[in-house]
Amino acid sequence: MPQDPAPDAALVGLEETPHTGEAIAEDGTLVEPQADDFGHAEQATSDPEWFKRAVFYEVLVRAFSDSNGDGTGDLRGLADKLDYLQWLGVDCLWLPPFYASPLRDGGYDISDFRAVLPEFGTVEDFVHLLEEAHKRDIRVITDLVLNHTSDAHPWFQQSRNDPDGPYGDYYVWGDDDQRYADARIIFVDTETSNWTYDPVRGQFYWHRFFSHQPDLNFENEEVQEAMLDVLRFWLDLGIDGFRLDAVPYLFEEEGTNCENLPRTHEYLRKCRETVDREYPGRILLAEANQWPSDVVEYFGDPKVGGDECHMAFHFPLMPRIFMAVRRESRFPISEILAQTPEIPSGTQWGIFLRNHDELTLEMVTDDERDYMYREYASDPRMKANIGIRRRLAPLLDNDRNQLELFTAMLLSLPGSPVLYYGDEIGMGDNIWLGDRDAVRTPMQWSPDRNAGFSRSDPGRIYLPPIMDPTYGYEAINVEAQQSNAMSLLNWTRRMIEVRKQHNAFAEGEFVDLGGSNPSVLAYKRVWERPDGEHDVVLCVNNLSRFPQPVELDLSEHLGFTPVELTGSVRFPRIGELPYLLTLPGHGFYWFQLSELGDEGERRSQA
Amino acid sequence: MSGPVETNEAVASRDEMIDSLAAALPEWLPTQRWFGGKDREITAVRPVSWTTLLDGDPLLIHLVVEVEQGDRTEPYQLLIGSRQSQVPDVAATASIGLENGLTCYEASGDADLTACLLELIIAGEPVDELRFEREPDVELTAGLRAHPITSEQSNTSLVYGNQYILKLFRKLTPGLNKDLMLHRALRDVDCQHIADPLGSISGELHGEELTIGMLQRFMPDAADGWVMATTSVRDFMADPSGLPPEELGGDFAGEAYRLGKAVATVHADLATALGTELADAAELQRTVAAMTERLDRVTAELPSLADHGPGLRAAFGKVAEIREPVSMQYVHGDLHLGQVLRTINGWLLLDFEGEPAATLAERSALRSPLRDVAGMLRSFDYAAQQLLVGQPEDPDRTARAMQWARRNRAAFCDGYAHVAEHDPRDSADLLRALELDKAVYEVSYEHANRPDWLTVPLASIDRIMTEGE
Ligand SMILES: Nc1ncnc2c1ncn2[C@@H]1O[C@H](COP(=O)(O)OP(=O)(O)OP(=O)(O)O)[C@@H](O)[C@H]1O
Ligand SMILES: [Mg+2]
Repeated sequence: MPQDPAPDAALVGLEETPHTGEAIAEDGTLVEPQADDFGHAEQATSDPEWFKRAVFYEVLVRAFSDSNGDGTGDLRGLADKLDYLQWLGVDCLWLPPFYASPLRDGGYDISDFRAVLPEFGTVEDFVHLLEEAHKRDIRVITDLVLNHTSDAHPWFQQSRNDPDGPYGDYYVWGDDDQRYADARIIFVDTETSNWTYDPVRGQFYWHRFFSHQPDLNFENEEVQEAMLDVLRFWLDLGIDGFRLDAVPYLFEEEGTNCENLPRTHEYLRKCRETVDREYPGRILLAEANQWPSDVVEYFGDPKVGGDECHMAFHFPLMPRIFMAVRRESRFPISEILAQTPEIPSGTQWGIFLRNHDELTLEMVTDDERDYMYREYASDPRMKANIGIRRRLAPLLDNDRNQLELFTAMLLSLPGSPVLYYGDEIGMGDNIWLGDRDAVRTPMQWSPDRNAGFSRSDPGRIYLPPIMDPTYGYEAINVEAQQSNAMSLLNWTRRMIEVRKQHNAFAEGEFVDLGGSNPSVLAYKRVWERPDGEHDVVLCVNNLSRFPQPVELDLSEHLGFTPVELTGSVRFPRIGELPYLLTLPGHGFYWFQLSELGDEGERRSQA
Repeated sequence: MSGPVETNEAVASRDEMIDSLAAALPEWLPTQRWFGGKDREITAVRPVSWTTLLDGDPLLIHLVVEVEQGDRTEPYQLLIGSRQSQVPDVAATASIGLENGLTCYEASGDADLTACLLELIIAGEPVDELRFEREPDVELTAGLRAHPITSEQSNTSLVYGNQYILKLFRKLTPGLNKDLMLHRALRDVDCQHIADPLGSISGELHGEELTIGMLQRFMPDAADGWVMATTSVRDFMADPSGLPPEELGGDFAGEAYRLGKAVATVHADLATALGTELADAAELQRTVAAMTERLDRVTAELPSLADHGPGLRAAFGKVAEIREPVSMQYVHGDLHLGQVLRTINGWLLLDFEGEPAATLAERSALRSPLRDVAGMLRSFDYAAQQLLVGQPEDPDRTARAMQWARRNRAAFCDGYAHVAEHDPRDSADLLRALELDKAVYEVSYEHANRPDWLTVPLASIDRIMTEGE
């Protein structure tokens, strides 16, 4: 095959915008866009530990709002909706990748780290979004895939065409496909090997994911630096952090499973150092779908409060919340939290009920996976890989009580909650759409054409909005729910507001209260305020569809008064005997335990 | 009986108080849930020993009395409190009015007073004849207050600060208490399925050792097996779909399986700690005789059982014909879902005292582990049927209850077999006889105490006799 003269040829649509490979310097290196070519956004208010208290909101740029009427959501459209997100109480947006990409893996196959996918807009549009978000005290983080690129990335094109050029060693090449035989194949459905032969270079390249996503060679110091420069590029523009995708796989080593290797951690420490030194207050969030005891490694050294990622997702918690409610038993949740090690003082978990991926069942046992399929994926089309592709509302049969219970747990269990766009109004899914698109349909803003998402001709929308009678946009949309005080949207907003009034939800120690009724999950969150006083929040959740009594041992708080947090109603004072509460089916309570003097008591009776 | 510091006067007035207390007890005792002798009139209550644990105001006395009911005399323990300057904060049912207008009260609910029991165990000092001891190498937190557990029980258990539970045995049995003895033996072999024993209170009765209390680690995260199982039954019975239990969210079989594994592990640990022996023909004969005798006794009270008489007798008789060796060892003795706790680290077994109605000799006899298996199988039947009790007959619901029971009984046996490498169902004759014997006992118990529930054991006997399982 003749050498491809234009390394950027694969980057369709970027002709008019600055992009990687638009020119080649004399030494053979590709010209790449620099942050100074663009405007920079003002930073949000300074608060280095903001992420410990933030409510995150995952939003797909494509799905949220279309500003130019081409049928696809874009960065400007998202910026137009920031008032809504601020009203809802969102502190930080998490955007899955919006980089230039051939989109063979939902944008996780990045073909240019320094350009925006044209249908979403431009780098300038992103800076505009940042600027507008920061004005509203909303932060923005995005996914960054360190481990690999798309095979369309000019780096890879150079690497395969010019083995001796500056990019020759950017990827993991080999003469055979025998090395690292102990590494498992992750996408067993589509891949048969972690090596693929490239006829252009005449060698095999290594890839932990799809064969169109070659792994970068982190052994090469230049690759390490190049990726740090990618971080710097976005951080200079003003971004607040990254969710680092697929972090366990950066390095390979013979005789290991090539996951979580010490050198991978070493590189993450280097990234963290760079962020701390050059961009304090910005964060790194690890995506490592593993057991909590392994994931904690990605927080780094507890002695210094953590020196790798500031945050990591807690994957196993989510399926267990579903399991616990179906079994009417708190044990699935209590057990996984008991097995979750302490994390360094400067770090926080991210927890979620649903996201853009399927409900992943990697972190459950085989038995539990069968159980989850049976319970939550009655139709084979609901299953994907090892997960369930459904949104929260249909998973819960659109039962308002359960939706509230699940959301209440999301907002009160340890970790920063991550909401998935549309779940706040109870959007549905479309299981007839292939892959993971079932849960990626347009945000439902109003009962108008295209759900108010786009002005375009309905035929041009990237995916049809949900139209069925229960979940369709005529029944379920932001506009209708904003004007209805009792709507799920207003309820969710109120709960977020309550959560923010009590830092114990965010930073309090988690104490499982157990109790004799297995259908009731009760816990407290205890936060020591800077003044040394304790802020104690008590959460009681009835996982059963039937009303339940529960007796709680609150003797440690003798004399305190539980004050219900949504309505400020005072409950009977805590005495020496177990504290008796009754809950309606799938009901829950949030209390603050207050030390009201006699005066408070009297006033409440007046 | 009195401490050396007390004056003769104080002793005299204390003696008087005890006497008038004893006079008030025949009326008061039967009002207490834990009193085991409700079946007969009390003819006399005699104080046999008493110890002042706290002197002055408030006052706390540990008292052992003998309760005479005709030809039966049984010792019980009481904690007696008395306050002059302040009204105690205890339930009205705890108060015991004395003739002279004074009031004292059963003090297990008075946290100010019961705090001293833990302190005494920590100090490890005897008070008169009462010995307060920690188990070897146990460190305990001082200064915790206690409240009695609220569930119905035949003893009184006090929970100290969510960390420890002190079980005060109500009806006392001279000799080393089996509950304490087996807990210690299991602790010594590092059994993972018990709440560790931490301390004990003991005394003496007629020159014999007497266990008065046992302190154990308390599991605040625990839910008992009965509640766990009936949660699943409730879910299953309320489901309108008619799907089998394995298709529904609240399925309990996974738990039942793990419970079976835990029970088998405890049996193996007991065998390691205390040994096993093979039952000889005479032992099997004795077993058949005991079962048959119980059947005769119960049939006399309840003629409706007579229909099954021949079948039951034949089932029991088969035990004597067993040719393969039958291994005997220390077992739990009264195993059911209410005696197991689900904690986040798995299942625990509680309360190794044995069947409450059995004599000490019976309780400490070597038994087949299958007796525990049979007890648990019976308990699954009870859990399945409890929602039917007192309801008009409904064949559909009955069939559904059966479905639940069958699934969970099988899962329990599967789990047991997995650990024991011996499937209890392979010893069909013995298991069946033990289960039927237990059901016959239940018939007599329900007849006397909860006639509504009689249908549960009777339905099971019916089923086992007709279906064979
Ligand atoms: N270590 C423990 N941790 C938590 N709860 C416990 C513990 N020990 C006992 N309990 C609770 O107390 C209840 C009664 O305990 P136990 O069976 O030892 O007492 P008992 O007087 O023999 O009761 P019963 O007469 O009902 O058999 C148990 O069902 C359990 O709910
Ligand atoms: Mg018991």
